Amino acid sequence: MPHSSEDIRIKRNLTALVEFSRAVNSSLSMDFTLNNLLLSCFGKFLTTKGFVAINSNGFLTPVVLKGINKEELEAFPKIPAENTDDSKAMMRSFVKENNLKLCEPIVSSRGLLGCIVLGEKINKSDYTEDEVDFLRTILGIAATSIENSLFVDELRGLNRDLDKRLNRLSSLFELSKEFGALIEEERISRLLVYSLLGNFLVSSYAICYLEDKKLKVIESTVPKQPVLDYLGTINLQSVTNPVSGENLTASFEPLSRLKINLIIPMKYQNETRGLILLGKRMNLAEYSDADIEFITSVGNLAIMSLENRRLFKEALEKQRLEEELEIAKDIQRNLLPKNLPQFEEYDIAAMTVPSKQVGGDYYDIISTAGEDVYLAIADVSGKGVPASLLMANLQAFLKSITIQNLGLSDATGLLNNLVTENTSEGRFITFFWCKLLRNEKKLIYVNAGHNPPLLIRNNKLQYLDKGGMIFGVMKTFVPYAEEIIELQSGDLLVLFTDGVTEAKNRFDREFTDEKLETLMLGVKGEMKAGEIMNMIKSEIDTYVEGFPQSDDITMIVVKVK
Amino acid sequence: MSEFFTNLKENGTVNIVELGGYLDAHTAPQLENVFSDLIKSKRFNVVVNFEQLNYISSAGLGVFMAFIETMRENSGDIKLAAMKPNVYNIFDLLGFPLLYEIFNSENEAIDKFIKQ
Repeated sequence: MPHSSEDIRIKRNLTALVEFSRAVNSSLSMDFTLNNLLLSCFGKFLTTKGFVAINSNGFLTPVVLKGINKEELEAFPKIPAENTDDSKAMMRSFVKENNLKLCEPIVSSRGLLGCIVLGEKINKSDYTEDEVDFLRTILGIAATSIENSLFVDELRGLNRDLDKRLNRLSSLFELSKEFGALIEEERISRLLVYSLLGNFLVSSYAICYLEDKKLKVIESTVPKQPVLDYLGTINLQSVTNPVSGENLTASFEPLSRLKINLIIPMKYQNETRGLILLGKRMNLAEYSDADIEFITSVGNLAIMSLENRRLFKEALEKQRLEEELEIAKDIQRNLLPKNLPQFEEYDIAAMTVPSKQVGGDYYDIISTAGEDVYLAIADVSGKGVPASLLMANLQAFLKSITIQNLGLSDATGLLNNLVTENTSEGRFITFFWCKLLRNEKKLIYVNAGHNPPLLIRNNKLQYLDKGGMIFGVMKTFVPYAEEIIELQSGDLLVLFTDGVTEAKNRFDREFTDEKLETLMLGVKGEMKAGEIMNMIKSEIDTYVEGFPQSDDITMIVVKVK
Repeated sequence: MSEFFTNLKENGTVNIVELGGYLDAHTAPQLENVFSDLIKSKRFNVVVNFEQLNYISSAGLGVFMAFIETMRENSGDIKLAAMKPNVYNIFDLLGFPLLYEIFNSENEAIDKFIKQ
């Protein structure tokens, strides 16, 4: 059967359509589809130039061109990708001005996808109606393919967004793992910076941290001092939300002059404890809401780690202080006499009850080679290790000076000189000591600013207050006065520190000298020194009712036999 | 997890930093030290060879940002080379190809320095 030319034409068209359809549907690449589209047209119509423009962000944008220079298309106008008369008119005039021939829209159910523009055929003839029909048909096929490619691109974009989110999540995870360990402040801030630099391509930044109310710039590529100076003038607590854009320029002008584009507060327990200041991103992208959210999370993680570290340091310091106190207590305990010597002439009892904090009470009972007995009681100012060491000094001086057998007044003067030479400014010792003679019942004492000990005889009180200046203020200038007292059997002598009379109850009221004196005047003749001492202590205990003791309580009680 | 390591080589005026293992928040300071030392000794032409690097986190990427400006201000550069696909992916994701030259091989990166 002979074929009419019409038949051949239809057959050729169909073959071309099938070929084209097969080709473009085998690929999801937009470029491949558009390239094929142009080439099919060129082959079919013997066209030599043309291009395809695609809807990109709402405007037609030439993407694939053949036989046309890029420069020729530079004048391509900004045509909204809409199937409107305006857009059509703009296209038509562009086609006409550039000696092109044909422009056909590529349309799908989504609307206008783009258009194809074809130039002259090689034989300069016009496009026939038939050819335009054919073009429309293959554009229909191309539209589906282009739409698929667009979907794929969209999916790729979504996947990339997901990847970005995933990457952010793993960043957060990574940092929280690192920050969870108690690492150095410098390392915390470096990690924070790395993470921000890596995620946002920033190169100018400053990290400010409010540690113990003191603002520090811990990491920075912008000049630190201007940042500190400026932040010193604002209330950090007022920065509760991220600041960027016009708000930043308006309210934080000095920072914007330092090229800071974003301020993010770092919060700990709802308080702003630091700021992250970031400059422009090097790819010039804006910070998105998701970016700001991420930076906020990272910042809060970092500040939590910084705060934890600070609290940990504080706890360590406290522990160190406590250990130091233990050492001081040890020194002090070892300074006190371990056994009380017993004498035929004197019944002596002594005690010291250290407070929880180490105080500076000291007492000693020294008897030289069976001769006389020295009693000493002292209160060293200050607490802790320094006070203990000063006390140890005093004890060493005392021990060596009693061997010299000097007069009490001279010896006291020497002691003061030694103490003064060995104390730093502001430290002093109140000191009382006395010598109880063995062969005759006699007491010699010097009081260097200590609470006057009490001598009770026949229900009468005497204060042992002769002497001179406290130790450690200045070298001995005026000799210390000494007093000699003839003792009688039954005399009661009480040496004590202010921890006794100033023992406080929970109403902050002191035990008082009066109470001690009344108590002493009521002592019955037959009581031994130890019993009297225990009585005083139990009176104090009753008085304070278990309220914590704030100062050492020290007493020496002597009953003349 | 494989240990992170760095290895420094020289090729004329170009300094090659080979990386291996995992570069993350934990190991980033090691790389920072390498860059700091390079800057101290005024060696600003750097090629980083990623061939043996198995993983990089964004904190690891931050190290490159922290030094790129100093290198460039001293007419040097940090060029990146021989990344595994998963490593390149992170660089790409965070937009680094815009700011850094990334080469398939160490030699291509070195050549680029020499031709400049």
